[in-house]
Amino acid sequence: MQGLINGKPVEFTEDETILSVARRHGVFIPTLCELADAEHTPGTCRVCLVEIRREGHDPDVVTSCNTPMEPGMEVLTRTQIVREKQRLQVELLLGDHDQDCATCVRHGKCELQDAAQFVGLQRSRYGRRVYFRGRTRDESSVSVVRDMTRCIRCHRCVHVCRDVQGTDVLVLHEKGLDAEIGVRDSLALGTSDCISCGQCTLVCPTGALAEVDDTEQVIDFFYDPDVFTVVQMAPATRIALGEEFYMEPGSNVEGKMITALKQLGADVVLDTNFTADLVIMEEGTELLGRLENGGKLPMITSCSPGWVNYCEKNYPEHLDHVSTTKSPQQCFGALAKTYLAGKMGVDPAKVRVVSIMPCTAKKEEAQRPEMTRDGVPDVDVVLTTRECARLLKREGVWLPDLEASGFDNDWMGSYSGAAEIFGTTGGVMEAAIRTVHYVVTGQELEGVVYAPVRGYEQLREAVVDLGEKGTIKVCVAHGLKAAKHVMERIAAGEADWTFVEIMGCPGGCMGGGGQPRIKKSYQSFWHERQQAIYRIDERCEVRQSHNNPLITMIYDEFLGEPNGHRSHELLHTTYRDRKQVVHHTMKEIWDELKA
Amino acid sequence: MAKVIYGVWKGQVYDNRDKQLFEIEDSPDFAEFDEFDPGNPIKAFMGGKGFFVFAKDVSLLDIALCYTRRTAHESCGKCTPCRMGTRILEDRLESLIAGEAGPETLDEIGELTDHITSTSLCGLGQTAAVALGEMLTHFRDELEREIELQRASGGARDRGQQSCSTYVTAPCIEECPSKVDVPRYIDYIKDGKFTHSVGVVLQKYPMAATCGRVCVRFCEMACRRTQVDEAVGIKVLKRFVADKEKYVTDRWFTPDLIAERKPAELKVAVIGSGPAGISAAYHLLLKGYPVEVFESMTEPGGMAAVGIPEYRLPKEDVLRKEVSIIESLGGRIHYNQRLGQHFTLDDLRDRGFKAIFLGVGAHKGKGLGIPGEERSVAGYVTGVKFLLFINHYHINMGLPMELGERMVVVGGGNVAMDCVRSALRMGVKDVHLVYRRTRESMPADLEEIEAAEKEGVHFHYLTHPTRLVTEDGKVQGIELVEMEQGEPDASGRRSVRPREGSEFMLDCDFVIPAIGQAVDHSFLSPEDSIELNRWGLIKADETSLVTDRPGVFAGGDAVTGPATLIQAMAQGERAARSIDDYLTYGRVRFDKNDRFSQLLRSIRMLNPEYVDKPVKHIYRIKAQELDPEERKRIFEEVEKPIRVEEAYTEANRCMRCYRVYSVTTEK
Repeated sequence: MQGLINGKPVEFTEDETILSVARRHGVFIPTLCELADAEHTPGTCRVCLVEIRREGHDPDVVTSCNTPMEPGMEVLTRTQIVREKQRLQVELLLGDHDQDCATCVRHGKCELQDAAQFVGLQRSRYGRRVYFRGRTRDESSVSVVRDMTRCIRCHRCVHVCRDVQGTDVLVLHEKGLDAEIGVRDSLALGTSDCISCGQCTLVCPTGALAEVDDTEQVIDFFYDPDVFTVVQMAPATRIALGEEFYMEPGSNVEGKMITALKQLGADVVLDTNFTADLVIMEEGTELLGRLENGGKLPMITSCSPGWVNYCEKNYPEHLDHVSTTKSPQQCFGALAKTYLAGKMGVDPAKVRVVSIMPCTAKKEEAQRPEMTRDGVPDVDVVLTTRECARLLKREGVWLPDLEASGFDNDWMGSYSGAAEIFGTTGGVMEAAIRTVHYVVTGQELEGVVYAPVRGYEQLREAVVDLGEKGTIKVCVAHGLKAAKHVMERIAAGEADWTFVEIMGCPGGCMGGGGQPRIKKSYQSFWHERQQAIYRIDERCEVRQSHNNPLITMIYDEFLGEPNGHRSHELLHTTYRDRKQVVHHTMKEIWDELKA
Repeated sequence: MAKVIYGVWKGQVYDNRDKQLFEIEDSPDFAEFDEFDPGNPIKAFMGGKGFFVFAKDVSLLDIALCYTRRTAHESCGKCTPCRMGTRILEDRLESLIAGEAGPETLDEIGELTDHITSTSLCGLGQTAAVALGEMLTHFRDELEREIELQRASGGARDRGQQSCSTYVTAPCIEECPSKVDVPRYIDYIKDGKFTHSVGVVLQKYPMAATCGRVCVRFCEMACRRTQVDEAVGIKVLKRFVADKEKYVTDRWFTPDLIAERKPAELKVAVIGSGPAGISAAYHLLLKGYPVEVFESMTEPGGMAAVGIPEYRLPKEDVLRKEVSIIESLGGRIHYNQRLGQHFTLDDLRDRGFKAIFLGVGAHKGKGLGIPGEERSVAGYVTGVKFLLFINHYHINMGLPMELGERMVVVGGGNVAMDCVRSALRMGVKDVHLVYRRTRESMPADLEEIEAAEKEGVHFHYLTHPTRLVTEDGKVQGIELVEMEQGEPDASGRRSVRPREGSEFMLDCDFVIPAIGQAVDHSFLSPEDSIELNRWGLIKADETSLVTDRPGVFAGGDAVTGPATLIQAMAQGERAARSIDDYLTYGRVRFDKNDRFSQLLRSIRMLNPEYVDKPVKHIYRIKAQELDPEERKRIFEEVEKPIRVEEAYTEANRCMRCYRVYSVTTEK
């Protein structure tokens, strides 16, 4: 089919939108609510206006994102009327938006500001507090803050929560100017079925949804001479933090991060990768134990707190499938306050553990009562990758300018390549296979890499050959929609896997809800981030967890053996049934309908 | 007849301002627009395509504000221009009325009205500011004059007496006899609030899952989406939410739903537990009246129970469950209580019932009127009776039925389809349907016709019975004649007449006439003082459903003749309002919404609903069905529920064609 855009002939297929045709032909049209790589075009912002001319019709202005191109149609993207209407649209958008931009968490990275600039807006006549002051600010969650005075109703968060994650917690509340994205059953986020994955914060174009900011607490620790601050950084943070400083996606800033955090006042900077190696030892041993003793199978990984929340809230009857091994973050905290403090001769009471995580759910995980011993939490504060960048900027540290340094610690300062790949979907499984293969067969996996569990498909299965011991079937799932599929198979008794890796976020930790967000895109840097993770693995001298010398040492000198008495005390945990069903009476609903 | 002084509608400008009232021609379009309620002249009318002014002394600013305020209130808040634009318009109009702003504000209003109209997402926004925009374009002088007066008086000027009523509807709502707020329950599906969605339906009637299965869907016929691709699957969405929530209904209908309990002596009797009766009882109970329902059969549901086959409407899981809502709300249902046999209307009065609703249905099947059917013969029963035997005596009570090998059903409506499809399920090998016109003119739902075809029913179109052949009191066959079509008549329907000499015989064991039903009024006696009309239907006022006997109201098939579930439920609800009025005020009062519907019906020709912007095609989802070969021998429900993802997709096809109307009156 043929038509014209700005006088130039274009080809298109039936029902292709004007926006899509324009993009294929290199014509720019400003957009706001749309999120192309999540296939989200709700058509609510009405910014992407174009003028169309059709035979037998008066000229008309339409939104290009959801209007199909028709044969013979002529599209004009830059007429005066189009420009005026785009401008007025953004001006209206600002009308009921809290324009207190300087205090906004999205300051400088706001897509609404971008839209205003794209359309050449130079005034804002309509903003009045009365238009938005009734809306919700929800600080009930320890992971995510909802500030609906900044919401532009793009519905990206609803789409990600419902269609991508399948958690379906966010819904539209109220109407007219009071319309805002609310929580199902009118609950507060913190008491809802939200699993804190933070995927919604990755797509929010403004400051309406954001991580809870804990940077202030970290600065307090750094500046308190009586506090011994131990910082840990997760595998997926070092390959993404650079994006916040305009570095190439996939830049590995591990060394610069160490320098920066030390410069800020951290007493020790270490790597969560060390405890990732430890988790492989614990979880691997747990798996082999379940296999030998007829324990519950398949065993499912427990590293992802979003996934653990999801299981507790949706499939509590199947919690016995989840490994009891704590996540690397929590293992790290537990050991920093025991083993490390002892080795370094520091009073454990003075140790504070700060985590840098790609994850919003880690904030909630750190506060679980199960992760506290004698009232002392394993981990004191969790900063997401984004907050880490904010902390650095608040302290005047510009990451790209720094020299790299290394982890210099004789007790917890080394990691294997297997630990680093925890940062991507498939990584925990691959790391486990590398070690389980060795433990079972006595031989290292040939070629180190186990490719069948790599990739992006939501659900991947593989049959692992363990030599004389036969084979085991494994499964890797990322994103909670895939997790749901796994759980339904288990519930139906149709799961024939021995071991399952589930990461709550699509892509795994590299796509975590605490990672740097990319304007107008949801997952566009996945490939660069994942490649960076695999490159780090390739360059590691030690590629298997069981070969990390400090892991051998910690078992020799402190823990005894994997799954031993001390491990159980420090490195294993329990789960709770957190399922809730909210019942509404028809009276409640009718009262709401009448309003 | 109202006279248009000025106005704009669909771009056409009417301007009689320079004429004397008597010089202005009457507009037949506005025959209904003299008064809103009795003694209350209509001064202006505003809608999604423009406005009309019928009186000289009106305040345009007030008219515009009243209308705009309602649109701002109705805005769903998703899209920018409607959410923000309508509110700013409201603020600007308020400033003008307060005398705080001058005519220059009109430029801004003009920019906004154009913007809201041309860039809003849904039908509400696209029509919210049209009338104000037209007012400004064509009658700016009127507005400016009023603005100057407001300014000069600091907003304190007396602008004359007028009051304003608004009404929000949509083509689908307007066509629904029950006026279910369809876009709203679809909105709630889009928003993932399924309980709210079914709550919207339950505001109108309790039988949501039943309606979601068997409704004839006037709404879908009116759906604007048909101009793009296909109507939104309104019925299937209703079933989706109703089914999803059906297991919690017991918890919903709690006593706190009843806002105000009426005195115990204001007892109401409902006769018949069909859709009309159940709906009437439901609304009366919600209004706080003690209600007792009298049912002649041993099970509730009326025609929905005995007339609709199990494969379309499961009785145990769906219908009975929904009828039981009456009991959850404190109502009582007495079974085996037939009017005229077990009690009379006077008995009910003597027992203290202050009002009575007659919803007795139309259960008497019509015969073919051909030789051979006079005597009662084995193998010949009417369609409704046949369905009653199957649904009630056979399925419920386990009585056996002998139906033979070959059956002929005569008729082209849904009852005929129910008969042929049920016959297959009863094990009849060879089922024939005889209809005197063509397939295209069959009144049955196309889906039903297609389903019957797939299941293997033999259709004989343009064929008519002429004689029933019997032997020893038993049907042996039926003589049929081929029909030929004549010229189309005024209504476009082509007449048919028998083709001479084309008679032929069809041997069969059973013949079922399914060509219509009548009210069985044998239960009425002269002492009941209930009048019938010349079609043998109970006489009741079209709107108020008042009969000739004070305190007695009637509705459903007994009043309308054989109609649909949704019409019966609508009448039940309407009767409940009338009864409430009667018991509270002694008379049935004016109903604003009914009146708005009436006005809109009267200007239907002026008010067509086109889709003028290009819309992407998204075809409607198809519900899974049991395989025809498998299903045609069993009574299991044929249509399967849709999945959540499908419901979201289907809900998002709704274009939300809300329209706001306002009427400005003297008082």
